[in-house]
Amino acid sequence: MNLPEHQTLTESLIETLTWLPFLLEGFGLNLLISALAMLMGTLCGAVLAQARLSRPPTLRRAGHLLTELTRNVPTFVFLYYLAFMLPTEIRLPGGGEIWLIPGWVKAALALSIAVTGFCADNLSLALAAWREGDHGRALLIIPSWAGYGLIIVMASSTASVVGVPELLSRCNTVIAATGNTGMMLPVYALACAIFVLTCWPLIQVMDHLKRRMMDRYLRYPLATARGGRP
Amino acid sequence: MSAACGMVWARLAGLLMAGGLVFAGLFMGAPAGAQWVAPASATAALPGDSERLALIQRRGSLVVGVKTDYPLFGGLNAQGEPEGLEHDLAADLARRLGVRLTRVSVTSANRLQRLEEGSVDVVIATLGDTAERRRIATLIEPHYYASGVTLFVRPDSPVREWSDLRGQTVCATQGAYFNREMARRYLLDLQIYNLPRDARLAVRDGRCAGYLFDHTAIAADLRQPEWAGYRAPLPVVLNAPWAIAISRKERGSAFDRWLGDTVADWHRSGFLLERERAWGLPASRFLKDTRELWSRQQADGTPMCLRGIDGQWPAACRNPAFVSSAEVSGLMQWGLRLRETTGIDLSIVYDPEDRRAFGSGLMMTLGLTLACIAGSLLVGLAGAMLREARWSLVRAFAAFSNVLGRMTPPLLQIYLLLFGIGALLAEYGLRLSPFWVAVACLSFYTGAGVMSALREAALVHRQTDPDYRIHPRRLASIVPLASGAVVAALINVAKATMMASAVAVPELLSVTTTIMAERGNVGVMMNIVLVLFLLLIMALVRLLGLIEQRLVQGAPRRKSVV
Repeated sequence: MNLPEHQTLTESLIETLTWLPFLLEGFGLNLLISALAMLMGTLCGAVLAQARLSRPPTLRRAGHLLTELTRNVPTFVFLYYLAFMLPTEIRLPGGGEIWLIPGWVKAALALSIAVTGFCADNLSLALAAWREGDHGRALLIIPSWAGYGLIIVMASSTASVVGVPELLSRCNTVIAATGNTGMMLPVYALACAIFVLTCWPLIQVMDHLKRRMMDRYLRYPLATARGGRP
Repeated sequence: MSAACGMVWARLAGLLMAGGLVFAGLFMGAPAGAQWVAPASATAALPGDSERLALIQRRGSLVVGVKTDYPLFGGLNAQGEPEGLEHDLAADLARRLGVRLTRVSVTSANRLQRLEEGSVDVVIATLGDTAERRRIATLIEPHYYASGVTLFVRPDSPVREWSDLRGQTVCATQGAYFNREMARRYLLDLQIYNLPRDARLAVRDGRCAGYLFDHTAIAADLRQPEWAGYRAPLPVVLNAPWAIAISRKERGSAFDRWLGDTVADWHRSGFLLERERAWGLPASRFLKDTRELWSRQQADGTPMCLRGIDGQWPAACRNPAFVSSAEVSGLMQWGLRLRETTGIDLSIVYDPEDRRAFGSGLMMTLGLTLACIAGSLLVGLAGAMLREARWSLVRAFAAFSNVLGRMTPPLLQIYLLLFGIGALLAEYGLRLSPFWVAVACLSFYTGAGVMSALREAALVHRQTDPDYRIHPRRLASIVPLASGAVVAALINVAKATMMASAVAVPELLSVTTTIMAERGNVGVMMNIVLVLFLLLIMALVRLLGLIEQRLVQGAPRRKSVV
């Protein structure tokens, strides 16, 4: 390995661990981005789902068209789009008050478009089931939704490409700061571990919950939940 | 341009020069070490229809306005003697004409005025080419140099690309024309200082990633002992071309053409590149690209950049910023007219270089997409088979890979493989290709999803046939059950291929960010690329839907599956 002579592999692992708090702070930003994306996306998705189930045909068609769009926009490109096209600050009309739009909010906005597509598809099915009185089936959306949230947590690492200081971006900062190529493997591996150790147990819980609910509420097997990933 | 120059030098030069002092008769020979071939034809076949040229020959000397307040280009050495790259150019002009050289010190404020009065024949004084200045003077094409923006960084800085700076704090000085533009194009977070000195000290103290400034001024700073070890590692961007200027009245004259031919020869012979090196300037891409362009030959061996019957250079050899739609035809005319009438800067239409890059980016994206789809199917099928293998160790490995594949962000996987593992392999002289690393990681990530879909379908079969195993020969039995989820996974991988841009694979998104950083047409390019990707994905959805219907008779329309 490309280590300076005074540094062994063990030492470079220990050095990696000293950066753990800094990296975890970055992961906090990943969670924050994901939470905001889920919140905004779910609200927008709910509006679209309502539109798709509504009476007026134009509203229905608009709902379908918008869902189709949100499903097919690659969030990675949309992230670039928002980073370059949205101003970094907006002055509110009249008041003259200036609002800053930090990079992580733009990232959350970009990811929320994928959440919107997912929620528009799955909520409209859930809503329809609920209206038919099949409440158990409608409630199945909860574990799927939570599972999708974890996918968003992983997707939030793409925010690093536009300079948001989240986990992956901080990994690069650490590597650059130490100036040691031997640090790359342990640092990235640590980041992998943070993702796997957080997401895997949660996914297990969600899958378990989902199967329990399916066994309880459904008499026939069900294909996995639908919706484009970010 | 020269506003960006060091203040100290300006003051020093002002003291010494006291206005437009003339170094009458100060003859300078060709700069030592310069090697070039003088084109005999250019000097021999001088048509005499230029008043100014006739005057120069009559008086036996060429009067050139040069700077003395702009180190490296036109400055003063330790003995107070004027010198610089532009002084060398002036000397070469006189040598080619076979006359004496007379240099006149000019400043940014008076250089064009001196031309207008007729007190100098030529101005070579860090003059940036603009449409405004073209109305006051005749600016010679091709341009002999271009100043741009670069970053002054600490010796230990890890910065290697402009894109490394996204979202980072970068120092700048107040009033620089490029601050806003650079922040917009490269997503920089600027920290503005009043004086260059303060900004440089901020870099020294690590308060910002680097100091954003004119590259010619940074080159001069880097020669100061105080900043030994400091660097300017980034390519010079936002290039503003510099032109030699002569009087407005001489437009299209033999003098104009002779100067243009001479500059073209400076590029072709490598004289400018050689002088740039000699003055310790950082290697500019402008000179390298221009030399490459002007040395290009047509099929019959004649140079591509030859003057037409109208005396103009072909549009392909000129800077598109100074070409108008009336001078060209075809796609270029259409694109330029659009820019002139609407302000929409579709450089991928009018600029042949951008058009080629964009086209190859598009092909690269299509190639990535196909490779990722094939890779995902392969990984998914292999994974599903291994997961059902006889040996428990193999099964455990497949299960573990599946979790790893699904639970780590693909971008992180790409970094881990390309840089982490790549650093290990580099020890053995092996280099990983970013393209195939991206394909492998995205296939691994999506393959995990395909694998789960195949296994769920196999579970259904196992209810009737407990010995059912997934096998390539039994695909027909599994496709109808798994196709929906598999197609969804494949569409998802197509939506993720642009992640390869993070490791500099020149696909569509990465080419687009390069073009817009160079041209500044951020809005247009971003809209185009977003719509283009949307259309690509929608076409793929249709295509995969059709294939699915072919494979699975009576497959449900892909929408209303739970």
